[in-house]
Amino acid sequence: MALLKLEDIHHSYKMGQINVDVLKGIDIHISRGEFVSIMGPSGSGKSTLLNILGCLDIATRGTYEIDGNRIEKLSDSRLADIRNEFLGFVFQHFHLLSHLNARENVELPLIYRGMWGNDRKRKATEALEIVGLGDRLHHLPSQLSGGEKQRVAIARAITMEPAVVLADEPTGALDSHSSNNIMRIFKKLNKELGMTIVQVTHDYEVSLHGQKTYHILDGVIERIENVESGGGV
Amino acid sequence: MENSKKRGSFLVRWWFTAKMALHGIVANPLRSALTILGVAIGVASVVSLMGIGEGARRAVVEQFESLGANVITITAHDPSVEFDTEYHEELIERVVGLEAATPVVSDKASLKWRRTRGRVDFLGVNNQFPFIRDHELASGHFFTSLHVKQRSPVVVLGYNVAISLLGGRNPVGKSITIDGNTYRIIGVLKEKGIGKAEDIDNKIVIPYTSALKISEKRKVDAIWAKAASKIEADLAIVQLGRIFKRKLGLDQKAPNFASAKEGEEEGGKEGGEENKGSVKPVPKEPDSPRPTLPSSGDNLITITSLNKLVQEADKANRVMTLLLGGIAAVSLLVGGLGIMNIMLVSVTERRTEIGVRRALGAKQTDLLLQFLLEALYVSIIGSIAGIAAGIWGLDIFENQGFQTAVSFSAIKIATVVALSSGLVFGVYPAISASSVPPVEALRSQ
Repeated sequence: MALLKLEDIHHSYKMGQINVDVLKGIDIHISRGEFVSIMGPSGSGKSTLLNILGCLDIATRGTYEIDGNRIEKLSDSRLADIRNEFLGFVFQHFHLLSHLNARENVELPLIYRGMWGNDRKRKATEALEIVGLGDRLHHLPSQLSGGEKQRVAIARAITMEPAVVLADEPTGALDSHSSNNIMRIFKKLNKELGMTIVQVTHDYEVSLHGQKTYHILDGVIERIENVESGGGV
Repeated sequence: MENSKKRGSFLVRWWFTAKMALHGIVANPLRSALTILGVAIGVASVVSLMGIGEGARRAVVEQFESLGANVITITAHDPSVEFDTEYHEELIERVVGLEAATPVVSDKASLKWRRTRGRVDFLGVNNQFPFIRDHELASGHFFTSLHVKQRSPVVVLGYNVAISLLGGRNPVGKSITIDGNTYRIIGVLKEKGIGKAEDIDNKIVIPYTSALKISEKRKVDAIWAKAASKIEADLAIVQLGRIFKRKLGLDQKAPNFASAKEGEEEGGKEGGEENKGSVKPVPKEPDSPRPTLPSSGDNLITITSLNKLVQEADKANRVMTLLLGGIAAVSLLVGGLGIMNIMLVSVTERRTEIGVRRALGAKQTDLLLQFLLEALYVSIIGSIAGIAAGIWGLDIFENQGFQTAVSFSAIKIATVVALSSGLVFGVYPAISASSVPPVEALRSQ
């Protein structure tokens, strides 16, 4: 059974007087343990698709199910729970809270989960160790390099052991060395911990790290490319 | 089990949210400080202005109270209605509730002690005077009814007079010369304070019999009486009003007089507006039987209870205090607007943070609470700082010689207003923070 099930997703928004159709009938099924890339030029609708996948936005038409939960029907508060429980986000610009240190940033989703102090610290530390930052727990974001920040962000995304990690241009703001590092971590998460990963990118090289690439153009899936495993790094 | 876990999770979220709100303040120290200052100024002005108003009120009340409790003064404003020296005795007999009364003669006389000369206000009264006006003696004793009857040359000095004439030495037993006659000092009154008790500290007190002789009078123009209680003072005023109307032959005079009488009775019962029992002469008719009465409009006699004056003054000052507080509250409102302004800026600046929190699982209520608490912290800190500053300001004012009072009702009002303005002005920014769709919030960078 598919973990994420997008069926006939349409999305449009108003720009002044005009209705702009961004997504025009997308069907995607993603199963547990997959590492999927969504690729397309800017304006193709790939970010909108990721927002919908991340329950940050609700499709104008179509159905979306996460592990059997129909997203369109949920209240704002339930959506927050879904995001917290099922989804981990990695953003292009990291979006760490600058006044919190690395571990505190990773603790954020655990706090919204309502987890108490010691469990929380232990879990956050574990997540940071997975991304190789076990020695940077108390550093503030300003004391970390770009690659390290993104690794903290990944730790924050995986600490809840979510069903899916959603990454929006995760390497978009990083140099190639750091990018490779991030991709290695993603693959490790996917292979060793069996995490489902969906990443949006416009970089073909990066997309090759996944097992399957959906090429999006003008709001529709242009083609689906299967990448031989072990590609890249 | 499930339930307690859920409650536990709320606690974690709220505790954390409260901490985050604090971060929001600390993150922009200057901005937060200025906003807090705005609130603090508002609270401080409410606390200090109301404290000053309250102090003024108490000063007036104390001044009146220094005149003696339940005192009724009867003053004639025209020589034609002055009182015989025994008249106060008649009043005590006729008026229920009057405990004591004294005729009062007040005038100036020359004073000489050794090489010191000067003029001094004197007060001629009987032996009941200390009881009526609540005076105590610093040393010696007051004159007796025998002294009064025998027109003895004895004098009791006001506190300042005693100090300025004799320095620190005990004046009792010494003699001074008043208008050429030698008087023996038998006592000194206790100090009442500047401006208190009709400035008794700077006067001397002698038997009224002697006073009449000095001022060459036969009658007295005032009688002071003391009632047993506040209620009896009120009732006594009514009775006195009737007695004097009859005595002055005003009671048959229909319309004007009826209204005056009514006023007095109301004044007596309600303790309201009409607290002076003034007997007004009737407008003269052509065939008036008393051509000696002064022309219409003048009061012949004023009968006043100090209790009523105290109440009146108290009421007026209360209004004043509230007015001052109201003016100060405007600055509190401005402080509140400052909170709203800064919170709106803060919400706009932190849209990305809002979006990230939403993506990580924060609910609208979490963000609402966070921003509301931030506004509330500002108003709480502002209130505390404002109360401290207000009390400090009152202290400075007090050192300048004004009477002030830290009024707890002012502090209560200021705090409640500050906190609720924090809430009220924090609500809109908080709602706007919590209602940004997550995708919008994340897109804004």
